Amino acid sequence: MRKFYAKLIAILVIVSLVGTLIAGCGGGSSQSEARKKVLKVSMGLGEVEWEVMKEHIFPPFEEKYGVKIEPLQIEAGDLIPKLEAMHKANAMDIDIITQDNMQLAPLVAKGLVEDLSQYRDMIPKEVIPSLVPVGEFDGKLYFMPYRPNVEIAFYNKDKFNEYGLKLPTNWDELLEIAKTFKEKEGIGRVIIKLNLGPDSTVHMFDLIRSAGGDPTVLNDEGSIKAFEFLREIYPYLSPDSKKADWNTPVEYLAKETVYLVRNWPYTANVLVEKYGKENILAYPGWAGPVKTSNVLGGEVIGIPTGSPNKEMAMKFMEYLMSKEVQEKLVTKLGWPSMRSDAYGKVAEWQKPYFEAINEALKHAEPRPNLVYWADVDKAINGALREIIFEGKDIKTTLDKYHNMIEEAKKAAESK
Amino acid sequence: MREVNISEKISKVAYIPIAIIAAILMVIPVYILFMTSFAVPSDILKPHPDFFITRFTLDHWRSVLASGNLWPPFRKSFVVATITTIIAIVMAAPAAYVIARMPSKIKYPVVLSLFFTRMFPDVGIALPIAVQFIRLNLMDTYLGLVMAHLIVNLPFAAWILVGTFETIPKDLEEAALVDGTSKLTALSKIIMPIALPGIAVTAIFVWLNSWNEFTYALYLTISDRTLPLQIYYYVQRGGIFDSATYAAILTIPVMLVTFFLQKYMKSGYLAGAVKG
Repeated sequence: MRKFYAKLIAILVIVSLVGTLIAGCGGGSSQSEARKKVLKVSMGLGEVEWEVMKEHIFPPFEEKYGVKIEPLQIEAGDLIPKLEAMHKANAMDIDIITQDNMQLAPLVAKGLVEDLSQYRDMIPKEVIPSLVPVGEFDGKLYFMPYRPNVEIAFYNKDKFNEYGLKLPTNWDELLEIAKTFKEKEGIGRVIIKLNLGPDSTVHMFDLIRSAGGDPTVLNDEGSIKAFEFLREIYPYLSPDSKKADWNTPVEYLAKETVYLVRNWPYTANVLVEKYGKENILAYPGWAGPVKTSNVLGGEVIGIPTGSPNKEMAMKFMEYLMSKEVQEKLVTKLGWPSMRSDAYGKVAEWQKPYFEAINEALKHAEPRPNLVYWADVDKAINGALREIIFEGKDIKTTLDKYHNMIEEAKKAAESK
Repeated sequence: MREVNISEKISKVAYIPIAIIAAILMVIPVYILFMTSFAVPSDILKPHPDFFITRFTLDHWRSVLASGNLWPPFRKSFVVATITTIIAIVMAAPAAYVIARMPSKIKYPVVLSLFFTRMFPDVGIALPIAVQFIRLNLMDTYLGLVMAHLIVNLPFAAWILVGTFETIPKDLEEAALVDGTSKLTALSKIIMPIALPGIAVTAIFVWLNSWNEFTYALYLTISDRTLPLQIYYYVQRGGIFDSATYAAILTIPVMLVTFFLQKYMKSGYLAGAVKG
């Protein structure tokens, strides 16, 4: 019996050692040659979007260059730790990424993406000019333009008709709409995102800029106006405002617990295509007292530092920016194009949403690419919490957070 | 005496209602999950969905089963959870037996040290662990995920089993040794069968932990997702019915594993084992 156990233990040890060796020691040069025939592309997409990529975008490139594209579904927030782990292990395994332009700063700050300044000429001259600075940090180009995006206002047509309401086009009308819904139904049905995260930052950017302020200053006249308006409308907003992010409005609109909310255009794909909620329509949104301003969202293209197949990745990057691809993306997905010369025919159901996006894009402004972005984000949400949720004085609170931003700015400059 | 009688009466009267309430609280979320996965969208997509649905559809299940996105993550999660459980039990049971037989002065520091790695949140140590695993080519491999899950589960498995072995009287193995059996035979033929309920509980615990594990899977996966990562994808992308269907599928093996292993969780194994 003793011998049996001794043998069993020995076999287990040997099996585990051999397993580790097999896992640890790959095939050397033949493996790296094989890797050159594969292009690993990371994107964060929905199922329908992946279908279009796999059926219409990838095959022509694969055929032309004799390479196999391996698509990787990685959400924008998850991409950063994954790239960081591979970068630290000196074993980068992703060749090219498309990334949400709201989440670029950590990639640059951590050295996870290549400086593409020398490839600046690759950007087609037909690109919408405002999209290029999105990829620039400290004068260097880290990301190429790919897909512009902007929030539009989704509304429940039936509810607006039921109460005989018109779509709000300015802050006063928005306040009236919010009040009316609250009076009629006893609960707020309008959302402004106040989740104290990146989503509320986007909405605060819109509010402050459209009141003529600068969110990176935060205590100017426009910022004060924006917070005053928010304090006025807050009691009439939906209680879900506090937890609304980029994802949850889909559910709120689908379940008809919210009748008006600004959100990203993918909302239409889920609501109309998947759930058949054709009573949820969209329009560009409302203006502030000074102007209309929408944060420019969307995605850009980057090359991870140490990409194993950089040469092919550069070709793919150029391909994604081509007129051919951009027109397909317009036609098949209803994505607005980064090029002024790319036109496509969107599906019939998508037309009203597509028109709203294009209209909203006319007033889209990119967020500044600041090294101290994390501090600006904290300051905006800190002010939001103290002023709106805790009822503190607007001017004093904004002065405090303005100083916080200034200190972060000085610290960044001194580096 | 009077007090005991009253408390006994209270517990007798309260036992059933409390058990029913607890069961309802635990079953309701699972019911909602399954109900949503079989519901017609219009019955759910309204401000106050009905608690009981009258119209059923298999569309969500059909679409998930036909999508080709279910089986690879399901297989990965199942294989990883099962291998993790086997290795955890094989490694932790003998170790726990030895620890249980140590003198108290040594035993408790050893048990405490088992939890040293659990003092840090997974999110905090996942990155450095992922870096090491990637260096070892363990990214996107079953082996990598099994090893990561063992980091989480081995200490708990050992801890539960130490408690189990402590309840088994030493006299029992001494009696076996007096009868001429070797230590290993005593362990395999006498101690382990008695420890089976504890081992079953540990196995269920480890299997469930591994089956549901998210953080390490997120770091150590780029293409072959596990089932929790697949659900995460649908939750992120706003698909209520797909999320519910995937989540319902996630719970089915949990129910099966619990059902089949619970027969080992019987009390009274030690009754009459040692005669005066």
